[in-house]
Amino acid sequence: MAEFSPGLEGVVAAETAVSEVDGANGRLIYRGGYLIEDLVPVASYEEAAYLLWHGELPNEQELDALRQQMAAARNLNQSARGTLTAMDPATDPMDVLRTVVSAQGAAKSLTKPTLDEAIALTAIFPTIVGAAYRRRQGKEPVEPRADLGHAANLLWMMDGKEPEAAKVHLVDTYLVLLADHGLNASTFAARVVASTGSDLTSCVVGAIAALKGPAHGGATLAARNMLDKIGSADNAEKWLTEAHARHDRFSGFGHRVYRTYDPRAKILREMAKSAAPELYKTAARTEELALKILHEAHPERPNATNVDFWASVVLTGAGVPKELFTTLFATSRVAGWTAHVLESLSDLRIIRPASRWIGPQPGKKPLQLAKR
Amino acid sequence: MTSGTYVPGLEGVIGAQTAISMVDGANGRLVYQGYVIADLAEQMSFEEVAFLLWKGRLPNPAELDALSLELAASRALSQAANVALDALPMDTDPMDVLRSVVSVQGVEHRLEKPSVPLAIHATASFPTILAMFNRRQLGLAPVKPRADLGHAANYLYMLSGKESSPELVRALNTYLVLLADHGMNASTFTARVIASTESDLTSCLVGAIGALKGPAHGGAPSAVIDQLELIRAADDAERWMRDARKGKVKFMGFGHRIYRVYDPRATILKDMCRRMNPKFYELATRVEEIALRILHEEHPERPQSTNVEFYSAGVLEAIGLPKEYFSPTFAVSRVAGWSAHVLEQAANNRIIRPQSEYIGPEPRKPVPLAERG
Repeated sequence: MAEFSPGLEGVVAAETAVSEVDGANGRLIYRGGYLIEDLVPVASYEEAAYLLWHGELPNEQELDALRQQMAAARNLNQSARGTLTAMDPATDPMDVLRTVVSAQGAAKSLTKPTLDEAIALTAIFPTIVGAAYRRRQGKEPVEPRADLGHAANLLWMMDGKEPEAAKVHLVDTYLVLLADHGLNASTFAARVVASTGSDLTSCVVGAIAALKGPAHGGATLAARNMLDKIGSADNAEKWLTEAHARHDRFSGFGHRVYRTYDPRAKILREMAKSAAPELYKTAARTEELALKILHEAHPERPNATNVDFWASVVLTGAGVPKELFTTLFATSRVAGWTAHVLESLSDLRIIRPASRWIGPQPGKKPLQLAKR
Repeated sequence: MTSGTYVPGLEGVIGAQTAISMVDGANGRLVYQGYVIADLAEQMSFEEVAFLLWKGRLPNPAELDALSLELAASRALSQAANVALDALPMDTDPMDVLRSVVSVQGVEHRLEKPSVPLAIHATASFPTILAMFNRRQLGLAPVKPRADLGHAANYLYMLSGKESSPELVRALNTYLVLLADHGMNASTFTARVIASTESDLTSCLVGAIGALKGPAHGGAPSAVIDQLELIRAADDAERWMRDARKGKVKFMGFGHRIYRVYDPRATILKDMCRRMNPKFYELATRVEEIALRILHEEHPERPQSTNVEFYSAGVLEAIGLPKEYFSPTFAVSRVAGWSAHVLEQAANNRIIRPQSEYIGPEPRKPVPLAERG
């Protein structure tokens, strides 16, 4: 049998046209063949989601239809409302999202994933994230607004007031940038669940569960926490040197796939300058020093800033509190998760790898309880 | 390792190293931590086997007592889980109930690392969730768990409101032991992928339930009953089955990627069916004989065998479970294995992030909205 590659590193587990991470050249390609940096100036999140689902950008009519369909799918059903209010307001927002998405999608019988379900699921995320946030603050959730786009409605549901155009733009761009990224762990989890013939909600719930991990979606929060501890550009050198001496990992650096600067990080870095000028200064100085320290320690490794580092600064600038960072990531990535599930249906085969036995030699006889 | 070629379904690719269970497909053996399943099935309680999967060895009497007490003490649902369970429509698929209520039951304020106590807590809650929902569907008041009953006995008690016969308890216990783990199946692999991001145990279990729901995995045992009923109603079983194959209908309960000989669990379950469910057994053995013959005619090169779901259906039916509760009861057993794998993954972790092969178009420029046709 084949050798074991821990973490399935280098193992090709799917064929996909949804996106491609070209790590060697630092390129992220979305479905249809578009480079992320070309897409960001021309596409809203709804357009990017349409692209991931359909393989082509929508025209005006198609975009209108999608926006209307999403706006009409923003309300929680009875089960989801009941489940949401049952939970302690202090619950981790990712757990709220996992649970309420599960309840919203609870059904009488198994259905095959469809595009309409993908649209409805994507539309419901801001409602849940907004409600989770408001409940944390002791406020009542607000109703969704059908006249707002996806990003604007998300901010509305968090703050309950008319969102500023500049902040909407920041959130919308963030959502476009994070919408898909090859066969990352959460997308892979969604595809494994889909491979059993399960429903779309089960796939998305599994993906949320995987994204929650600090080694995956939790990394944006970790980057911001590190920046908070550093506090100021002046303190960066002292903090990083000491952290490095303690063998602490620097949050926001390194990626299994990219061998050059992550193209998303580049775009977010540029946005961060005006989005959060003070935090940008700290972050830019931190980045400069961290890369230097990492390079000195491991000149052979390609050490680059990852998307989480600069996403944490941009989301801060957009007024998103850090405890919601991972849920914002999910709010974006659900378009990619669902696109991958729908794609996998055309050639469904159960994903069931082998395992290597490292336990005791089979055949030992169990002792009776009293003799143990 | 450099980029390999795409292996559909990761068949034959090693997804993990494990000491929890081994499916020795060539020899038809299932091994838990070194013990062959036939040596455990009718001798051990589910609690002992869960301990074995979590800790790598069988418990001594004091350890078993402690585990039993802890399980019994963890059977009640949280307030939030109770409310959420009542918020779901009465006709909800019990797998969706389980996925949702396990998710609520496990919500946390801050991320906790998977641990044996958390595994015990989760394992204890599965029967409660299912029994409470089933009673709600039947318009019956919920029954409080009984701390003096074992895991299998308490599940049956919470479903029916009365103590079941020792024979039924033993049968359910054997079923729970047999299904508790099975190598790197899709739901266990899902749990390990989620664990590999350093997520919490509940997240891993919720993902695994979602995978088990799929008909290609755990979602098929009730389909075995449905198909047998159709065959029973037909005048001629063999003619019905041959016609079904012409219409590309799958025979439910046959075939497995790994076993090349008879599944050892199916052997044990078949024997239990013979004793407990003669009506099922009589038809099932006839259908099995015909199915294996037809499948062999179609693909003489393939090893065809009966899988665990086929005779599970007869055992679970004899125990008195409604067929919508077959798959969720599979989860009641497998949660022990899932959580053991999560603990093993967490102890020696590397994020599971395979590669994909891009089959889309070469890079090109997007057209602004106003210019799109």
